[in-house]
Amino acid sequence: MTGSTSMISGNNRLLPTLALLLLAPLAWCAAPERQTLQGLLTDLARPAPSSTPFVEAHFSPLLARPLVVAGTLEYLGPGKLARTVQAPYHERSEIDGDEATVARAGEPARRFSLARAPQMQTLVASFAGLLSGNAATLERNFTLDLHGDASHWLLGLVPLNPQVRAAIRSIAVSGSGSQPRCLTTFQANDDTTILLLDRAARAPRPAAPDRAWFETQCQGRNR
Amino acid sequence: MRCAPPAARFGVAIAVAWIGLLLLLGGYVFTRLRLSGDLRLFLPTPRTRTERLILEEVSAGPASRLLMVALGGAGTEPLAGTSRRLAAALRSDSTFRLVANGENLLSTIPDTLLPYRYLLSPTLDHERLDASFLHRELTAREQDLASPASGLLEPWLPRDPTLEILKVLESWEPQREPRLLDGVWFNGRGDAALLIVETAAPAFDPRAQRVAIDALRRHFLAARATPAIRLTVTGPGAFSVLMQHRSEADARLAGFLDTAGMLVLMLLAYRSPLRVALGALPLVTGGVAALATVTALFGTVHGITIAFGFTLIGVAIDYPIFLFSHQAPGVTGAAAAQAIWPTLAIAVAGLAIAYLAFLLSGVPGLIQLACFNVAGVATAGLATRYLLPRLLPTGSRDFGRAALAGRLAALWAGAPRMVWLGPVLAAASVAALVLAPGPFWQNDLGQLTPVPQARLIQYDTLRRELGAPDVRYLMTVAGATADQVLAEEEHLSGGLQSLVARGSISGFDDAARYLPSASTQERRRAALPEESELRASLDQALRGTAFRPGVFEPFLKDVARARQLPPLTLARLAGTPLELSVGSLLLARGGRWTGLVTFADVRDREALERLAASSGGGAAQLIDLKEASENLIAQQRVRILWSVAAAAALLVAVVYAALRSPLRTLRVLAPMALTTLAILAVLHAAGVALNLFHLVSLVLAAGLGLDYGLFYERTLHDPRGRRRTLHALLVCATAACMVFAVLASSTLPVLRSIGVTVVMGVVGNFALALLMIRPDPERPAAS
Repeated sequence: MTGSTSMISGNNRLLPTLALLLLAPLAWCAAPERQTLQGLLTDLARPAPSSTPFVEAHFSPLLARPLVVAGTLEYLGPGKLARTVQAPYHERSEIDGDEATVARAGEPARRFSLARAPQMQTLVASFAGLLSGNAATLERNFTLDLHGDASHWLLGLVPLNPQVRAAIRSIAVSGSGSQPRCLTTFQANDDTTILLLDRAARAPRPAAPDRAWFETQCQGRNR
Repeated sequence: MRCAPPAARFGVAIAVAWIGLLLLLGGYVFTRLRLSGDLRLFLPTPRTRTERLILEEVSAGPASRLLMVALGGAGTEPLAGTSRRLAAALRSDSTFRLVANGENLLSTIPDTLLPYRYLLSPTLDHERLDASFLHRELTAREQDLASPASGLLEPWLPRDPTLEILKVLESWEPQREPRLLDGVWFNGRGDAALLIVETAAPAFDPRAQRVAIDALRRHFLAARATPAIRLTVTGPGAFSVLMQHRSEADARLAGFLDTAGMLVLMLLAYRSPLRVALGALPLVTGGVAALATVTALFGTVHGITIAFGFTLIGVAIDYPIFLFSHQAPGVTGAAAAQAIWPTLAIAVAGLAIAYLAFLLSGVPGLIQLACFNVAGVATAGLATRYLLPRLLPTGSRDFGRAALAGRLAALWAGAPRMVWLGPVLAAASVAALVLAPGPFWQNDLGQLTPVPQARLIQYDTLRRELGAPDVRYLMTVAGATADQVLAEEEHLSGGLQSLVARGSISGFDDAARYLPSASTQERRRAALPEESELRASLDQALRGTAFRPGVFEPFLKDVARARQLPPLTLARLAGTPLELSVGSLLLARGGRWTGLVTFADVRDREALERLAASSGGGAAQLIDLKEASENLIAQQRVRILWSVAAAAALLVAVVYAALRSPLRTLRVLAPMALTTLAILAVLHAAGVALNLFHLVSLVLAAGLGLDYGLFYERTLHDPRGRRRTLHALLVCATAACMVFAVLASSTLPVLRSIGVTVVMGVVGNFALALLMIRPDPERPAAS
């Protein structure tokens, strides 16, 4: 598509990116016990800059097979995130405050505003909550529920705002210790995005990984 | 009093009948008169098609209807939220036609227009919908789906895998967009959110503009995120509201000050409340008669005509003053009126003739003003002669004996005869007129209703930030049909795009940008493949992509529909948001069509001229609105000057016919002529460029000078009568100075220029009449 900026507004895909960036920077050994939400958030919070590899699969009713991309996610400081796709093609997206740019090799960079859809604003703010380790901010925007134990936890986020919920049904973040492993976004239009992070992203994958493979990786039980 | 009872009863009957007549006329005016706020009445009457276009473009064109809105005083987030809410509220208000704040609203494209995307997008000019093109596009769509942009694009893919609708929307976007923050337009510093609003009403209708701006403020108050957010509205419409508001406020204050001042002055001069009340009667009668006349002749009268007209016929307060001051003790009002009537009649006739000049000016507002003043002045004069004397008690006081008049008479008698005064003053004035630098005439249309400088700067800054069209340059493209204009514009667009690339202009806008010509649309439609062919290409293109076969059925259906579509025309756009964009750039006038091409930031005017000259058959023409309107004003002034010259000649003839002596005529007219020349010299030397309102004021000052000259000259050889005349002229001149000094202190430059000019005229005429109208030395004053 030739540099069209304007309508790329309510892009739901960013959230995972964001979230992940926020959460990602951690590649760290597990600490003992964290059953409480606040405890988990405190451990997830990380200073910038940091980066982590990722593998992301996008599932859609339009697609016969998932679109899989791999690359690096970077947290560059407050409000600054970057997502670089290295395979199967090159693309770099950056988020700086309110503005996002997507640049693909051989095409002019496309610039657009995160906030063309109001729900983005809320979501971005909320993920800031995740990064900052502040449970109160998150709870203003999401219904949160935490399952599992320190070795395998699962944090569910359901948007409270019905407008946001019209685009994103829920988000699930799983991981162990202070290390998030996978972030799954369930969109209202039946698309699903599974984002594998760090160690999960480094795992060898088959030539044509299917949904089952991604879900297994996400759960990380059979590590 | 001393009046006999029957006479008194007669007087009462006359007073009752008079006031009754005034009330009747007043009632007529009240029920019939419609006030207009349309400032175009004071613009020249267009005589050619181009002139009409220019005036319409200046006063009612799309650029003039734009209001630029800035929201400041808070952070990005609350400002952007306020901008979005405000824009949504304005879009649902029929007072506004277009609202833009940077948000791109896909939903504003009606579903019926969607299949037209293949006829509107330039893609098919250089591509074919074949397997290789589709495969490239589908691969790009896969990457889009896996990118942060997927959320919004995905719903469109089955219907529009080549994203044609995006390409169409992009081509409609302004070429130079303001900075986007939080999804809406912001200024360069990022501290104010910007919006452009087009009002349905033209800029030069201050009343409708006020309604629009009030509505805008109301929506703003409802939309703003915090009370700290401030709203700034600028643009021609906002200016006309500001000017209207200020001129009303100034007029109210001036009216109050003048009335109070006149009451005090009249009481001091005549020491009789009855005379003060009677003195107002001719003026009121003249005013009502003037209103009734313009009501009967025009029906709709401009508010400025009335405000300005009342100022000008205020001169008629002089008539009862002449009558009162000249009424010697024991003389009845009727006798006094009869005695001064020959002189008063010339004064009235002279002033009326001066105003008749404006009938020939070709400016509708001035024609109304002329009728208003001729009717008002003539009625006030006749009322002073025939009605007022019947109500006036017999004279009991010799106003010629008033201390001030006496002192002035002594001063006058003792002043040296300065025979050299006239020639020297005339020579000095001519020298100043010739030697002082600077333009003599004000040709800038914008200066006629001048806006404070700070507001203009604010306007200019915002216009630049928003990339709003340049208000000075405009290209017109003529054609017999709308489609011919569109085709010619398409022809020009290559040249315009290269001018953008070279930086000669930073953008342009024309109807063809939104609506291609029928032949272009037909060519693109012919390039659309048949359904079976497209299906085969698509199947081939899908090979090797992740897309599920069959998801693009809606695309196949839309293309099949587009192959059957008749080209989109202006008529078929009715009811869509595009109708407004295209309609304001494509105008039908008397069976012919004119397309307007507007520019942003014209930096190379010659390049535009060369481009226009290269158009087929001279269809395109670059118009410099500033230059064109200046030419119009200059032409208009030539007509006004000719009519003023004709009026001056007529005036000399009337005075000569009445006085029957070249010497006396010269004596009466010389002070007035010299004063006029001297005012012109002073204004020019002070660097003031003259405008229409200066001319009107000069005529008014000359009318006053004529009064002074005639009455002075009348009592040249009658010392006692001369003192009464001096008393009358003192009261008249003081009254006029007072009224126009109030105007001179107005905040509005137009009113200020009138006030200053007339005050100079009153002082000059009074002093020069005093100094120059003297008894001949060889003929000593009659005993």
